[in-house]
Amino acid sequence: MRRLAARVAPPTATFLAGTLLAELLIRALGVSPLLLPTPSAVARAAWSYRETLLPALASTTGAVLVGLAASVALGVLAAIALAASRWVERAFYPYAIFFQIVPIVAVAPLLVIWFGYGWRAVVAAAFIVSVFPVIANALAGLRSVDPALLDLFRLYGAGRLARLVKLELPWALPSLFTGLRVAAGLAVIGAIVGEFVGGGGLGVVVLGAMRQQRTDLVFAAILHASGLGLVLFAAVDVIGRIVLRRWHWREEIP
Amino acid sequence: MRGSPIVGLAVLLCLVTAACSRGGPPAGRVALALNWKPEPEFGGLFEAQRTGAFRRQGLDVEITGGPGAPIVQMLAAGQMAYGIAAADEVLVARDRGADIVAVYATYQTNPQGIMVHASRGVNSLDELFAGEGGTLAVEPGLAYVKWLRKRYDLSRFQIVPYGFSIAPFLAEPRMAQQVFVTAEPIAARRQGAEPKVFLIADSGFDPYAAVVITTTQRVRERPDEVSRFVTALREGWRGYLEDPGPTNREMHARNPEMDAETFALGAVAQQPLIEDEFTRAHGLGAMSLERWRVLGEQLQELELLDQEPVAADCFAAF
Repeated sequence: MRRLAARVAPPTATFLAGTLLAELLIRALGVSPLLLPTPSAVARAAWSYRETLLPALASTTGAVLVGLAASVALGVLAAIALAASRWVERAFYPYAIFFQIVPIVAVAPLLVIWFGYGWRAVVAAAFIVSVFPVIANALAGLRSVDPALLDLFRLYGAGRLARLVKLELPWALPSLFTGLRVAAGLAVIGAIVGEFVGGGGLGVVVLGAMRQQRTDLVFAAILHASGLGLVLFAAVDVIGRIVLRRWHWREEIP
Repeated sequence: MRGSPIVGLAVLLCLVTAACSRGGPPAGRVALALNWKPEPEFGGLFEAQRTGAFRRQGLDVEITGGPGAPIVQMLAAGQMAYGIAAADEVLVARDRGADIVAVYATYQTNPQGIMVHASRGVNSLDELFAGEGGTLAVEPGLAYVKWLRKRYDLSRFQIVPYGFSIAPFLAEPRMAQQVFVTAEPIAARRQGAEPKVFLIADSGFDPYAAVVITTTQRVRERPDEVSRFVTALREGWRGYLEDPGPTNREMHARNPEMDAETFALGAVAQQPLIEDEFTRAHGLGAMSLERWRVLGEQLQELELLDQEPVAADCFAAF
């Protein structure tokens, strides 16, 4: 309990101090609410538009989770395939990097043409931006297996599948979770960009609020999106701990 | 407009810093911020610049901005002297505390409408929304979409964001989308579609569009400059209406994505929306108190305003 308090107290304190400082500064400088709303105005907007924001948040969360799940499944499979041989890696890895550098804002309108309007385009956008960190980190993990252990497996005559399931994948887990933490935040960004063109969720709330010049609602929607990102990050962290706690000495989460 | 919310937010944050430092262009030079690429809707502005109408009025005008530019915020931050907005945006901005005012209304009839495929066989918005439904692509948050929702039953339509490409429309016969009558329908026809357009204005919601705005403070402190600006605009539009050719060529050079023929056709299509009985009596760009009052009431009814609007404060006649 005391340890929990010690972990929660510092970020809460910086949050309160930061919010207070922003509130005072914006008020003191007399910045127009059209340009930058005070934190209290954002909180009021979040409350009075809760019936818009919460369903939108739920919709975005759904798309992010599906996109992220697809990233994990396909990303890990891709990493296993790439790790199978140096030749395969050389032949295909450069094209995996495509996913990292694809300007999602530019291709988003195409997603609508390929997948139609609605959640499929949104999930696709979340997937595209979040799959690369999964591939890259899973691959790095698979490649970093202790050679002595590989020798040991060979010595005992373990087959390819046994080596993968019992040695390489468990070994790659900490690295995979590092990738997942990056992917979780990116998936939120991808989903919102997807929503700009595909419709639904917080993305459309942001667009509508911009057009109606409700800057306070724009910030409230962005806060919901960052909240989602934070919760996902924390969830990946917790799952990582649970999965790794029993037998992984390498994972030392600060 | 793609990605413009991100750009908009970035600009917003820059403006916050600018608002605190109070920069702005040097005296004598004024900036006019457009909210879209050079298209026939801005013909008179580019004409005024090309033919020296601004210069003859002692004004050095820089035309800037573009899709997604947060015009109202730029004006409120003192970075731009003049900008382009729609009349409904003026009322909403004033409601949010921006002290801006309209000085010239280019379109007397709002050029926005809903485009459908003629193959649907509908002849009005009433028939469209009473019919079989489909997909309707519109920008989220548009005032007139709220108006349509209130007036018609849109439940048979899947409402999706408009991405400023007519490709989805061309591909899908049951698709309907927002348009500027001077742009998308012409482009769609040139690509082989047979579109039909219903003006929103015909359903009773008709805000002035391509309205030139400035701050109330500027009108109060430099009425002479604003007056000369409006005079030059009127001269520019007069010239453009008579012969849009040379200015169309210049705008086409700045916006090559729109082809020359669409420029020419758009300039013709918009003429009746710009010049009508009212402007013949009161001059191009003139506005009436009655229309601002009606619009204010409509926006209040749509719950887009928090306070009671004052129609007389929304515009200044020159």
